[in-house]
Amino acid sequence: MNKRLLLSLVLFLVAIPTAAVLGLTVLKNVRWLVWSLTVAALSVIPFLFTFERRRHTLTRLILIAAMVALSVGGRILFYAMPGFKPITAMVILTAVYFGPEAGYMTGSMAALLSNFYFGQGPWTPFQMAAWGLIGFFAGLLQKRLRKSLPLLAVYGAAVGVLYSLILNFEHTVGVMGAFVPAEYAAVTVASLGFTAIYAVSNVAFLLVLKKPVGKILERVTVKYGLGKTEETET
Amino acid sequence: MTILHPALSFTYYIAMILLTCFVRNPVVTLSALVGGLCHWAFFTTAKEKREDLGFYLPLAALVTLANPVFSHNGKTPLFFLNGNAVTKEAFVFGACSAALVVAVLIWSKGYSKTVTSDKFLYLFGSVLPKTALILSVALRYLPMLRTEAHKLKDAQKSVGLYSKGSLTDNFLSSCKIYYALAGRTLENAVGTADSMRGRGWGQRGRVPFARYRFRKRDAVAAVPLALCLSLVLAAAGSGALTFSFYPGLTLPPLSPLALTGYAAFGLLAMFPTILQTEVDLRWRFLQSRL
Repeated sequence: MNKRLLLSLVLFLVAIPTAAVLGLTVLKNVRWLVWSLTVAALSVIPFLFTFERRRHTLTRLILIAAMVALSVGGRILFYAMPGFKPITAMVILTAVYFGPEAGYMTGSMAALLSNFYFGQGPWTPFQMAAWGLIGFFAGLLQKRLRKSLPLLAVYGAAVGVLYSLILNFEHTVGVMGAFVPAEYAAVTVASLGFTAIYAVSNVAFLLVLKKPVGKILERVTVKYGLGKTEETET
Repeated sequence: MTILHPALSFTYYIAMILLTCFVRNPVVTLSALVGGLCHWAFFTTAKEKREDLGFYLPLAALVTLANPVFSHNGKTPLFFLNGNAVTKEAFVFGACSAALVVAVLIWSKGYSKTVTSDKFLYLFGSVLPKTALILSVALRYLPMLRTEAHKLKDAQKSVGLYSKGSLTDNFLSSCKIYYALAGRTLENAVGTADSMRGRGWGQRGRVPFARYRFRKRDAVAAVPLALCLSLVLAAAGSGALTFSFYPGLTLPPLSPLALTGYAAFGLLAMFPTILQTEVDLRWRFLQSRL
């Protein structure tokens, strides 16, 4: 846990700011593009390689895969309600019960997988980073979020807004080639409706699903002895 | 593009998308758009074309018009709006951004059509085996979830527990099916894992099955692609393609390097079309000899 925390702190406090400063000072013309892609890559690649290096039981990997499929496949059940997608809520719940790494993997893989169906593009790394980090931080706050339903709802609403802001950033930089505050503000205002739906649907899903899905995840963990990550298997 | 080795088509599309994003020069953007459209014409059906155009055209109009409204840089005012100059430069920049956005969308679509999930897994399976395992199991679970969800929904309907009366009812009923599905899938997942372990998953000496080989035609395609790509990178890296929109529109001088860069990028953008035409012609030729 400490090592993991240290790694993430190094990544967020040293590597990403360094890349950001370098990108802003050295590369003048395309600096925002380089900057944003670097930050997105730095929030995806190290996590994946750390995940590969650690030991995981096969059951744990398959359970993460099942959670990924459930987060993406949930769309078909809620197709009648536009914008209501259970992805974020499921990622948060996975993180709360299986820990930060599982949360990260579920989030980023759900983004990648759903884009195989809805189209990959320059937004893919940003979605992978955004959903992955939503899961990762939910995992770091694991104990508190598990205990308090209001806190979980607040987290869900906050990350709904944050997700929207990150994707607006990607859109602005992608269209303008640079970060233009006026354009960013315009995009943010234009997408306000979606932002609200994200936040509200996250809260609604978390409030309804926390108890039953939490029970299932807890039962699976206890029943098959998956509480610990450190088990001797590939 | 689908006949090429996945590594080649993956690199090609990623390079095209990145170059289109990074080299903000109207000539390059236009070549990317034209090349992309020719490619797009081949891989979409008539219905898809209508749907895509219905999305791309309004988006392009929006991006073109939004920029001059928000950005008042540039030295040639066209007219004044609420006391702010609407400039020619901002307008051209908006039009170029619109072309760029549509080009990137089209190339991304080409990527999605060509580098399908199986090819992606083949490419990254050996670098990130655990990630690839998660992805491929999840891919297999998706169609299964669909059938299971329908079964659960039918069951709930027949006992009269599924209601679509109001939005809340619909949401709660769907949630009920969703967590029943979650319970089933997770128990199932543990079974999948046991079964995989029982069949010797993770034993030493296993090799992944690969359907793709790097053939002669891949090598034949790779050489000109690599050449064009390095020429474009050389031209772009040396600043020979740097276009500036503000304060006035200035095309970089047409040096030999810049011209080579444009030509190389044009060829690169037309590559899928050339390849497709070549394949079609060869097919016709083979048929005519029967």
